[in-house]
Amino acid sequence: MLRSVKGFICRPLKLDHGYALHMAAKDCFSSVVSQDVQTPAEKPRAIFYTNESDPIKTFQEACVMVRKPALELFTYLKNSNFAHPVVRYVIYGERGTGKTMTLCHVVHFCARQGWLVLHIPDAHLWVKNCKELMQSSYNKERLDQPLQASFWLRNFRTTNEHFLKEIKTQQKYVWGKRDSTEQGRPLGEVVEQGLTRVKNASDAVGVVLKEIKQQCCLGSFRVLVAVDGVNALWGRTTLKKEDKSPVSPEELTLVYNLRKMVMNNWSGGAVVTTLSQTGSLFKPSSAHLPHELLGKEGFDALDPFVPILVPNYTEREFESCYHYYLHCRWLQHEKARTEDGKEELRFLSGCNPWQLERLSAPL
Amino acid sequence: MFQFEKQAVAENMMSAEIYYQQVVTSSWGSLNTSDEISGIHTVSTRRRGRMSQLIRSHIPPRTERMAVDQDWSSVYPTAAAFKPASVPLPIRMGYPVKGGVPPPKEGNLELIKIPNFLHLTPPAIKKHCAALRDFCTEWPSALDGDEKCEQHFPVEIETVDYVSAGTSIRNPKARIVTLRVKLSNLNLDDHAKKKLIKLVGKRYCKDTDVLTIITDRCPLRRQNYDYGIHLLTVLYHESWKTEAWESEKTEEDMEEYIWENSSSQKNALDTLLQIKATENVSNVTKEELLASEVVRNYRNSVIALKNEGETESNMSQYKESVKKLLNIQALP
Repeated sequence: MLRSVKGFICRPLKLDHGYALHMAAKDCFSSVVSQDVQTPAEKPRAIFYTNESDPIKTFQEACVMVRKPALELFTYLKNSNFAHPVVRYVIYGERGTGKTMTLCHVVHFCARQGWLVLHIPDAHLWVKNCKELMQSSYNKERLDQPLQASFWLRNFRTTNEHFLKEIKTQQKYVWGKRDSTEQGRPLGEVVEQGLTRVKNASDAVGVVLKEIKQQCCLGSFRVLVAVDGVNALWGRTTLKKEDKSPVSPEELTLVYNLRKMVMNNWSGGAVVTTLSQTGSLFKPSSAHLPHELLGKEGFDALDPFVPILVPNYTEREFESCYHYYLHCRWLQHEKARTEDGKEELRFLSGCNPWQLERLSAPL
Repeated sequence: MFQFEKQAVAENMMSAEIYYQQVVTSSWGSLNTSDEISGIHTVSTRRRGRMSQLIRSHIPPRTERMAVDQDWSSVYPTAAAFKPASVPLPIRMGYPVKGGVPPPKEGNLELIKIPNFLHLTPPAIKKHCAALRDFCTEWPSALDGDEKCEQHFPVEIETVDYVSAGTSIRNPKARIVTLRVKLSNLNLDDHAKKKLIKLVGKRYCKDTDVLTIITDRCPLRRQNYDYGIHLLTVLYHESWKTEAWESEKTEEDMEEYIWENSSSQKNALDTLLQIKATENVSNVTKEELLASEVVRNYRNSVIALKNEGETESNMSQYKESVKKLLNIQALP
């Protein structure tokens, strides 16, 4: 289990025993489990390149603070009935309160339980700054994004290796004149096909999603669809077609397929999503409520969902974060160790995780 | 001689009076002692000295002689410019100096430029009313409250008369007529009210439920009044009619969110039907589902969310209703 977990999110989550301990404990608020890693909301992009401020490299360990929203989600997931249509959970909150980290925590939890994890680190990347847009061969109206699709396929392969051997395709897929995948071949072949022939990568993604959706209703495995920044699927894009007309999200193959995945017409898993304002297009920075970020279309599509609010740190959480920084010797300033210093940090950051990390970085 | 001059110039915080005084004393003093004085200097100091005798010492402003309980309407009987020496208030106005405060009222052009209402204090207006009372008729004694006025006279007409000192009594602003009426006093059903509000646009205030019509397109006040009444009549009758094209009203045109026939209802029903299908319950009809408690709850929370915007309480209510709808248990 540790091996498959290692590859996911493309950064090795080296788990130490302390972490395994607190996963079992029910009341995890005690400051014993005060390990945490603070990552700002843009961190998923840092996955793709390591920089000096990456705490994983600095601390030589990845720790997640156990907080209430995540625990709430765990109880829901444990008690959910997998014969019923899939339940959608939307994690929302102000900027920098830890929505992405909560999502990562849930992903880790499900991966340890043996679920198939479809993790999209940031859906906003699919609707902006796309260098190559090609017309889809499958459907003339739609546009493909080969780079993003192949990147995601690579990550998917690393995270869910053993599932790829188990799941078999249920129909024949023809990729071109010479390439085709027969019925009954393992899904890994489809992924390979997408990676080798980058032109077909987006269609490969579509096929993978379709197969997983069809087969998980049978109940042999559970699927967790984790999308960060789900409001990108229903917003606007900054992409333009060759005649400079704007592209709407449903014209992108990847977005179209992902929307189908997020619908609740299948069963045997869960869909956990986050709303993210950072990285979203054409939304004011004060917007953080579901209606504001999803828009009418998005809200109606996701309705009914369970909204989960992630607030700023409580007193205890702040204490544990502060002690963790001290323990790792991240806070070097002499005054930071004093009571006054702690109060100053608390006041300046307003108990916001992102602010706290920014403040303690130069200290 | 030169030394004293330089000293005085260097200390430029000193007022002109003191400067002159110093120069005068120093000049008279040095005439006797110094032998560098040229004839020209002697003449200039003497001239400066005479000028200092011509300058009066500053008399204190009128404000210092004002009693606290004075009659203000005699200080400012009519509209007049702001006089800093007559207004006993420590007002500052203008852009503040860097690291400082706005300039004081003495010699402050900003205070003089703006219109002031120092001549219209409540006691002054009381006096005006007392003077005008001779020209007025009695208020009807039966209308002793606002509710009674509104009940008997729901339409309020407002006109302004202008008086000025000049050759002509005409004022073009006098033709403007303002009509105000509360929509609750008009006999409108739901469709008529919505149509009226859409027709009048900005003239309706949602908070106070008041429709305001301001007319000034005719040259005479009576004509404007007739036109205003005509507008009100036309609006009332038109809003009761239903045109053929009104059936094409789409969801974007709706003023408030209606849950019936919305995508939210569809989604909820689909989900519930699927759940029931998996549990192999016998065919539950849509009407039964709609009438059930959980769906009612869900419907109310969605309507609240959409109509009132998103607040903490709304979101938590929605969350509870969704949990009940989808049978999610929180506790293990």
